[in-house]
Amino acid sequence: MSLVNLAHVCSHLQNASKARLGLTSIPVSMLHVKLALGLQQEGFLSSVTLGGSTPPTPFLLQAQPDPEELDAMAQKLKDRPWLAYPAEDITEDGVENVTEKLLGKEQVHEVRVPKNPARRRLWLGLKYWQNEPVLKNMKLVSKPTRRIWLTSDDLGKITRTRESSYVKGLTHPGECMFLTTQRGILEARECVERRVGGMALCRVWG
Amino acid sequence: MSVCRPARCLFTKAAATTLPKATPQRCFQTSAIRQARKRRPHYPSIKADDLKLLNEAAEAEYPKYDTSETTLLAKRYTPSQIAAIQAAESAIDTRDVVTQGQQRTDPWMLPYEDDLAEVDPVIDKRPRLGPDDVPGKKSYRLANEVERDESIARIANETLAKMYPDGIPEGQTDAAQEQQFQDAIEAALSQATLDPRATYTSKNPAVLEALADSRHNAVQPDLPRLENRMARQTRQLSTEEEEDPRQKRLLQYLGWDKKKLRSIRVKTLVSHSVTNQTRMGKIRSLYYLTIAGNQDGLLGVGEGKSVEPDEGRKQSIMSAIRNMKPVPRYENRTIYGDLEVKVGATKVQLFSRPPGFGLRTQHLIFELARAAGLQDLAARTPRSRNKMNVIKATWEALTSQKLPDEIARARGKKMVDVRKVYYGGSVH
Repeated sequence: MSLVNLAHVCSHLQNASKARLGLTSIPVSMLHVKLALGLQQEGFLSSVTLGGSTPPTPFLLQAQPDPEELDAMAQKLKDRPWLAYPAEDITEDGVENVTEKLLGKEQVHEVRVPKNPARRRLWLGLKYWQNEPVLKNMKLVSKPTRRIWLTSDDLGKITRTRESSYVKGLTHPGECMFLTTQRGILEARECVERRVGGMALCRVWG
Repeated sequence: MSVCRPARCLFTKAAATTLPKATPQRCFQTSAIRQARKRRPHYPSIKADDLKLLNEAAEAEYPKYDTSETTLLAKRYTPSQIAAIQAAESAIDTRDVVTQGQQRTDPWMLPYEDDLAEVDPVIDKRPRLGPDDVPGKKSYRLANEVERDESIARIANETLAKMYPDGIPEGQTDAAQEQQFQDAIEAALSQATLDPRATYTSKNPAVLEALADSRHNAVQPDLPRLENRMARQTRQLSTEEEEDPRQKRLLQYLGWDKKKLRSIRVKTLVSHSVTNQTRMGKIRSLYYLTIAGNQDGLLGVGEGKSVEPDEGRKQSIMSAIRNMKPVPRYENRTIYGDLEVKVGATKVQLFSRPPGFGLRTQHLIFELARAAGLQDLAARTPRSRNKMNVIKATWEALTSQKLPDEIARARGKKMVDVRKVYYGGSVH
């Protein structure tokens, strides 16, 4: 787990939001993927997609189902809402997907991911609200030369804006801190809820 | 006793025995007592010739009353009054009037030249009467209803008689006169109802008169309206007030009235002179930076520059009021979270604080916070402390706060003020 790469990711995201980019890419690692998913869960990112050196097709440019088909499906679901639950029927030929037969085939957008892991990139969709980036600041808490581990008690104080274990409290409005714990990468408040401690990674605020 | 003390002291003490004894004094030092400087007279000594000239001038300016004048005086005044006038004139030395007396011409001069026939409530002492001035038995009681109505009628009649000394207008009266008469009756009746003579009664009529007499009153009467030239000149009615065209435009722009504008707190925080170097030479002008706030969440900063100091100052005030922007306040006392803004080389950090913390900031940020109506705030200016930039940075930080609702909308998450929702605002 390299915090140097994480530092690069942090500064890159700050720069990208300053430049008002809609989509940006970071190198792929397990840490980055999990952190990106955490950021998406907290609402800082709009999308997290694994792709190659070219950016994935944005949602609006992806193939969309026919509007008439959608209307028909909506009418069917209105009449028989239980069709929304996935159901399978076992026949002589094998397993038959009843839902697909009744509601039509689901369209899944496929993104081409290079076989060579070195060529993979993680594409992140950045968010903006009222001409302001949602993610403006992203700073490392632990440094490559000085890791900081926090207990759940420390985190309780930190999330309540008090300083603890030489880590400043989360005093900016809507500030989040991510930690790597035994239960994966979690937000500080979630850590307090689950009573787990861990190593502080970075703090994020708008 | 020291040897160096001169023997003269001993003799002087002995010689002074005939004089009244001085208060006992302790001598705090052994050195000789220095005699005080010889006293100068209060009045300069005047030579006999000069005195003679002065006497003549005084005689010529202020001559004694001759017999024709005394007979004229006797026509107007009683003998006792004439005696008082003469006593007063003899008390003032005419020579003093010549040497020192001068007529005042300034606007604040007091109207001294009067015949002292009236009591001036400003200069003179109020005539007062005590209980000893009431003859007879000093007892009174509450009047019953019959007595009360009787005395009200009597007092009202007296008042009306004073209002209409020539009798009540009779015969053909127009509507205005009739209305005036009705008003007079009403005024007289209400005055009579409030009169203490109506509420109380006494067997001794002197006691009743004393109740209504203002000379027996312990309360000082109101001062009369000043009607001199100075007061008339300095008085300014709201209609005559000079309209500042700039202020008028500002009021139109804001859609406010003057009263609301007056409630704005304005303070000039920075002022210095600046120079424009042209090929003709230097042009000096004055720069002003003013803040304006209504102490309830509105704050503005304005700049003004002009060769005329007053003009520049006014410019800055107007632009500060025009620039007023809302400052979001958490619980109307502090900011939402910590803020940090950089303007030039100046960085201002503002921190929200719990209730009762106060404004523990430097003076410029304090003034801004007070004008905006913030009560709990801490601040740091870790880098440059340029006054203008500190003010601008603070203003920018306060007005461009991110509100929790906005953050929640931007992230698509639900945000709750835990302090308010779960703890009823009692946890900090």
